[in-house]
Amino acid sequence: MTSDTALPPAPGAQAPAPTTETQRRWARQHSIGTLWETWGITAVLVVLLAASPLLSSDFLTVANLQSVLRESAYLGIVAAAMTLAVMNGTFDLSVGGQLALVSVTTLMGYAAGGTGLAALVAVLTGMVCGAVNGALVTAMRVPPFVATLGMLFVFRGVAYVLTQDGPKTLPYSEIGSPFVKIGGLNIAGIPLPFLIMLACYGAVWVLLRRTATGRRIVAFGSSPEAARFCGISVHRIRMLIFVVIGVSVGIAALTYISRVWTADGSAQDGFELRVIAAVVLGGTSLKGGKGTLIGTFSAVLLVGVLNDLLVSRGVDASYQRVVLGCVLITALAIDGLRTRFAAPGSFARMLPRRRREAPAP
Amino acid sequence: MTTAAPERAVRAADPRARLSRAIENAPLAVPLVLIAVVLTVATDRFLSVDNLTNVVVAAGIVAIPGLAMTLCIAMGEFDLSVGSTVSLTGAVTCTWIVGGHPAGLAMVVGLLVGAAVGLLNGLVVTKLGVTPFIATLATLVIVRGVSLAYTGGRDAIVSSSTLKFLAAGRVFGVPMPVVLTAVTALAAWWVVNRTRFGRWVCAIGSNREAARMSGLPVDRIRTTVYVIVGVAGGIWGLLISSQLQKGSGQLGLGFELDAITIVVIGGTSLLGGRASVVGTLLGAVLIETIRNGLNLLNTPPAYQRISIGLLLVVALTIQALRRNAPAEALDDV
Repeated sequence: MTSDTALPPAPGAQAPAPTTETQRRWARQHSIGTLWETWGITAVLVVLLAASPLLSSDFLTVANLQSVLRESAYLGIVAAAMTLAVMNGTFDLSVGGQLALVSVTTLMGYAAGGTGLAALVAVLTGMVCGAVNGALVTAMRVPPFVATLGMLFVFRGVAYVLTQDGPKTLPYSEIGSPFVKIGGLNIAGIPLPFLIMLACYGAVWVLLRRTATGRRIVAFGSSPEAARFCGISVHRIRMLIFVVIGVSVGIAALTYISRVWTADGSAQDGFELRVIAAVVLGGTSLKGGKGTLIGTFSAVLLVGVLNDLLVSRGVDASYQRVVLGCVLITALAIDGLRTRFAAPGSFARMLPRRRREAPAP
Repeated sequence: MTTAAPERAVRAADPRARLSRAIENAPLAVPLVLIAVVLTVATDRFLSVDNLTNVVVAAGIVAIPGLAMTLCIAMGEFDLSVGSTVSLTGAVTCTWIVGGHPAGLAMVVGLLVGAAVGLLNGLVVTKLGVTPFIATLATLVIVRGVSLAYTGGRDAIVSSSTLKFLAAGRVFGVPMPVVLTAVTALAAWWVVNRTRFGRWVCAIGSNREAARMSGLPVDRIRTTVYVIVGVAGGIWGLLISSQLQKGSGQLGLGFELDAITIVVIGGTSLLGGRASVVGTLLGAVLIETIRNGLNLLNTPPAYQRISIGLLLVVALTIQALRRNAPAEALDDV
């Protein structure tokens, strides 16, 4: 609706066709709806940041901002990869189990061979977990929802088995180790985990927007049928997505465990739902085919900032959940209502039946 | 419709069709029998009245929300919030009993709270147009938060014989949970196979747009199903609180996955459109038998998770291979 007002008036009665097409595309890309889809959650984040001094006097201190960024990194890294999956019309419920398992094996790797081996083990374990999911979904044809739900139990179970003699812990004597620096170091005042997260978003963005594979991922998400007719190999794409998620969990686990220092099978219970919530909050549709990385990025930071503000206001942890849940419903409800009422012809449909035949513009 | 009815009659008479329907639940029954035989041989305690009663009671308790979830999944949707409903119902009921209210009233209030959570889910999904996955994920978080806030993080410990009767009582020698499950299962079977409502639910599951076009009150049906799941989650909460004699914000963590697991193992497709009541019951018995067996064999709890996860994956692999439709499996979320 607003797109029409944004259009400059056509110069002549008959504008040349290419111009109108360009104008239409420009209007489509700059309509309030599209802008909201891409930048809505970022705008909310900016507003929240602007209002934060009113809510908490010590929010805008360097140390506090650093801690918010550092805390958000592991969620953000996995959310970037999960955005790929959701845009493809699938998701991975096993990331919580993967994170627990990778954290445990990483600490075992560190105990055996120091920082280098720990990093290698983390990425490899994540990759293997992702490949198992991918194989189940592609070779065994198990629906992704159930396959990853089952593997959530399995990965967590394996992590429990590995920590039967007690949780794996980094001994205090290792405080000077480079491994601890992964989570604790600041480069030019910016926490290293956040820089790693930025790098991951960069990599996923290149994959998604600058490669044919990225095109295929989105194409399959918007119409599996059409993508199949175009000869896109669904199996290879799904396999790739699950492996990318696994690797992202490996990287995320490094930034997580080097701060937390201890892990067992129960580490990060419910992580998978938090990741998916962040992706959806960022405006990526669970139906697939639609979404933005910047949305996910802002949503992760929004959740981090909101958590931090609630904590600094002394809000009880149980109410924090209520607030976060309400934010999620509100965001999605706005989206749902918007698509319902902004769909072409929706106003005509709301009018009495006989008016339906009104010619469409 | 007019041609479908005689066709169905013909198919029912066809012995081959009847056989194929009879072995529909074979992927569940066969491992169940195998596991039972193995456990009978491997342990001397499995095949005792007490132990089998335990298995059936445990299966019955998880089957009640499972049956409600079967309706929901047949409708092509699911409800992730039942675990939190379990916690909130138990917390409210136990707190009311501790507060000196009669146990019967407290239990009714608990069930009303469950129904309210279901209604909330239904309204958010239908009126606000939020995807069920996210809507119920959000209520999972919210209701858990409410439950923790309501109890203030403390356990409400009760000693009420009325509440205790729900899980430990016997009617004519039959454990109360089994009675409840039998009633629920009969009701579920009747609703799915013999009522207009059941057919409507499956119709929405196979094609919601078509159901809307043919004039079904789609939103009202969906809301009703969410309320049913909410009440069933409430009953689950009462049973759990009755077993533990306490209500707490920590109860029911991850229960939603248990309920969905038994439905999916039972053969109700996540694509919607079909409901298998018998499958869900068998799924519940199978999972509880495995849990019981692993306990008897003194396996650490970690292996229970692994085996249930593997069971889920294997059951679904068999289903997918049997369906023999590679494309369809990939569209499944």
